Amino acid sequence: MGLPLFSAHGDPGPSFWHYADSMGLAPSRGALHEDAPHATTVIAVRYDHGVVMVGDRQATGNYIASRDVRKIEPADRFTALAISGSAARGMELLKIAQLSFEHYEKMTDSALSLEGKANYLSPIIQRNNLSSPLLVLPLLAGWDESHLVGRIFEYDGAGGCYERFDFATIGSGSPFAEGALRLGFRSDLDREGALELGALALYEAGDNDPNTGGPDFVRNIFPMMISVSAEGFQEIAAPEVGERFRQINERRTESRGVAGGTLR
Amino acid sequence: MTNYFYVSPEQLIKDRAEFAQKGIARGRSIVAAIYDNGVVLVAENPSASLNKISEVYDRIAFAGVGKYNEFDRLREAGIRWADSTGYTYSREDVDARALANYYAQHLGDMFTEGQKPLEVEILVAQLGNKLRPTKLYRVAYEGTISDEPRFAVLGGDAETIKDRFALSEDSLQSLATTLHNASTALSGPDRVIPPEELEVGILEDRGIRRTFLRLTDEQVKELLS
Repeated sequence: MGLPLFSAHGDPGPSFWHYADSMGLAPSRGALHEDAPHATTVIAVRYDHGVVMVGDRQATGNYIASRDVRKIEPADRFTALAISGSAARGMELLKIAQLSFEHYEKMTDSALSLEGKANYLSPIIQRNNLSSPLLVLPLLAGWDESHLVGRIFEYDGAGGCYERFDFATIGSGSPFAEGALRLGFRSDLDREGALELGALALYEAGDNDPNTGGPDFVRNIFPMMISVSAEGFQEIAAPEVGERFRQINERRTESRGVAGGTLR
Repeated sequence: MTNYFYVSPEQLIKDRAEFAQKGIARGRSIVAAIYDNGVVLVAENPSASLNKISEVYDRIAFAGVGKYNEFDRLREAGIRWADSTGYTYSREDVDARALANYYAQHLGDMFTEGQKPLEVEILVAQLGNKLRPTKLYRVAYEGTISDEPRFAVLGGDAETIKDRFALSEDSLQSLATTLHNASTALSGPDRVIPPEELEVGILEDRGIRRTFLRLTDEQVKELLS
């Protein structure tokens, strides 16, 4: 590939997507078979000084394809992006998002706003989902540097982007996670409270949805837990996550598998 | 009928070179130098927003002198080239030498075939790692590419500034010393450039993937004090 120079009227601007599209680098529109690994639960919860995200690690096709997938990645220092649906398309979306936000920053010497990043993904999701059976549905959460709050954006299959002011879930385990979140969410949650609620909701999803991987004490593989705040994207270390799920598991063992009338 | 006058190729090249040199000489200069822990790019630039120095990729920076619109378009092309090369292959396949060669070819083409030569000089800096060496590639308006061993000067007054900077120590110095030497080489003995009129960017390993950092006026002031 030579030096990509454009005249002023044909210039794709700082959008990597527009540029990649004009060069034929963008993902294709062709339809494929729908048997790629999918199924997920990822949860985002807003707290007083940021957002937390919890995601399972299992990729499922007709059987378990992988037990240690990372479905949440930093899209940049202040933005977390989680994927559900087709693994291949999801990974590609992650790559495009990471690259695009950095590309914009280098081209213009200023970072995109969090809302700008959320809106940017809409047409990419729309084009993928309306032209291919390999659906991808991301969840974007981050720290808004201009308004100093944590914000969550979810998408529908046609690329519609909606802000959620409490919590959001994606993936096949959503109904179960959502139930726990609806009972446990309070608007004054702190980081610890949000992490605990997120872990409980994921435990519920892993317990009920065959395509969501709960904590795996045999292999010591635990769900991913992250937070995004003014300090940036932070991943909770695996031993700490393991300890949290071990405690939930012990409580459930004591109560013989039922939540026990209270959210715990 | 139009009358065609014969112009010898020597004269044509000379005229074009003079034209480009004049354009470049109108702008202020840039010094890029390797220091003990990275690469520093220093531009005399009274504007705080119309940058001459830019991040291109994880370990690559760009600097341009001359006509702003011309070198800024080259800067954008460089970022696009780097991002799409890294997207297509791998991040570690993005090499400054390849980019400098593309710049050299484009500037060479414009010099001989363009309506007018581009009035710019370009620097592509690369911070080394175990895969690649630390490098400063300077590309002149007519497409000449040179691999500068320790420091490079771009701009109209390059020879004088080069001599002044070369007088400073031969071995690699700290960032503060190198920045100070660059600043005094740019200003000459008769004046001092205020820190807010210096645009400074560095490539330095700080434990994160992106090594480019644009220094704030306060950071520059502190390093120069």
